[in-house]
Amino acid sequence: MEANKVNWKSIERLRMIFFSSVIVSIMSILYFLPRITIPLGISYLFFLILRPLIPWLRKLGVKEGWASLLVVLVSLFVVIYPIVKIAPVIGSEADRFEYYVPKIEVYLRTNYEVIQVEVKERTGFDIGDKLLIGVLTSAKNGAQALLLNLPKLLGSVVEWFFIIPLFLYFFLKDGRGIRDGLLKIVPNSIFEKYYNLTYQFNSKLGDYIFAKFIEATIIGTLITVGLLAFDVRFSIILGLIAALTNIIPYAGPVIGAIPGIIFGLVEYGAGSPTFGALVAVYMIANVIDLALVFPILVSKLVDLHPAVVVISVILGSQFMGMGGMIISIPVAAAFKLILSEVYKELFVAGRRL
Amino acid sequence: MRSYEEKIKDVIYNEEDLPEKLDINTLKYFWQLSPFTKSNKHSVPRFLAKLRVLQNFSDTELRILSKFLHHRTFAPDEVVFKQNEDGIGFYFVYSGQVDIFVPADNPSVDTEDVAEIKKHIVTLEKGEYFGELALLQENSLRSAECMAKNVVELLGIFKPDMEELTKHYPVVAAKLLQSISMIIANRLYSITREVGELKYKICQLEKNSGSK
Repeated sequence: MEANKVNWKSIERLRMIFFSSVIVSIMSILYFLPRITIPLGISYLFFLILRPLIPWLRKLGVKEGWASLLVVLVSLFVVIYPIVKIAPVIGSEADRFEYYVPKIEVYLRTNYEVIQVEVKERTGFDIGDKLLIGVLTSAKNGAQALLLNLPKLLGSVVEWFFIIPLFLYFFLKDGRGIRDGLLKIVPNSIFEKYYNLTYQFNSKLGDYIFAKFIEATIIGTLITVGLLAFDVRFSIILGLIAALTNIIPYAGPVIGAIPGIIFGLVEYGAGSPTFGALVAVYMIANVIDLALVFPILVSKLVDLHPAVVVISVILGSQFMGMGGMIISIPVAAAFKLILSEVYKELFVAGRRL
Repeated sequence: MRSYEEKIKDVIYNEEDLPEKLDINTLKYFWQLSPFTKSNKHSVPRFLAKLRVLQNFSDTELRILSKFLHHRTFAPDEVVFKQNEDGIGFYFVYSGQVDIFVPADNPSVDTEDVAEIKKHIVTLEKGEYFGELALLQENSLRSAECMAKNVVELLGIFKPDMEELTKHYPVVAAKLLQSISMIIANRLYSITREVGELKYKICQLEKNSGSK
């Protein structure tokens, strides 16, 4: 009996070592091969957004493999068609944007000079040109770096157009098989906890990404339509920027409004009715977001204190930049889940024999 | 359609010549008989079909259900779950035996003897099941400890599988929930009867002590 006991415990220890080394190897492969990790991550996000469609299609009598293929093809069409249609419009808008850059520079210079003179008159303190030059050079450098990296970026985007749909198809079709394969090597002693935690985390992440996707679409559409209604230029680009930045919690709406407001100031001037309308459009869209969309869609999904949200977003941006800001909240939610599980295990009375 | 075996029997019975070469059907027949192939006889749906609680399932439904079951193997004396642990799974014993224990009523403080700390309730064998409450309760705590008696293979279905089953195959999920409800209803019935008998016994004891 005693021999048996030692035996199963040592088997379980071996299982634990094997399982942890598999997890560590997968993590390090993902960490050291960003060329695979990035498209894999993007296709996983798409998978989480599109996953609810599969049971719906199955109810209509479509077989699982065909349902996955159909979802991939339809989403490819939905992604590519507007790009092909809107690309020339965005292209021409971007060209005009290039023409506006010097205009913005001139505007900033004149206003800066006015402020400089005023500050000197009132306080006797000379601000100097350092601040303005600093801002302008960093903006120019940023734009230059983006232009220089554009071919490389376009190369990866073209590569992703082939790889992401493929990964997405396999996630949709064989997702459960992959998960079950990994579950087979989970040691018995942690199986139920591991399965429950990973499932809860995945469904939380899925719900969060899905809700954020819908929220960003709503805000982007509202701002584009609003700006179009007042005949503001670059409405599509500004709407897209607002939709993309909306994914960042709290700071996103503000960051998304900055380009629009700077452009409005330069183009129409602070006192003009169009500038007022532009500000109103941003404000109304964000009020709708804060008062309706966010409370209904997102907040229920993430049961976190606002301070924790802000801290996790800052930490995310510190370590992983823009991507970090987006995934910070689900990761924080996962940490909370794991911590509460550990707490229950260690501290709640009467749970141990 | 008659089977290959019957056809050959007829040929032998009629004293006709047997086929000289083995054809594909013969090979297939022997291949399926081989103990080394994973024959249908030992597959999970066949096992499930024999369970009384899953009687209302059709063959296709059993095959679907089997895809959602997790096959877990435990060594002798390995703990499947402990009492008061969070539970999310319902298990069928596929092979081997498991013991169910609850803490003993008055364990002596300094004892190390397992039999004194834990009270053995029942041994479950192939085809029996346990842990069904975990699938239905919100935060289910295991009411007893379960330990493998020998090398045991269990088929487990867990809360996440149940959710997926409900989404993808609602009919199968409904039938499974019906089966689990039946198990629980039977247990509730026997517990109610036991409580009734105990109450009766207490009444009798009170009467006896009163008359004395």
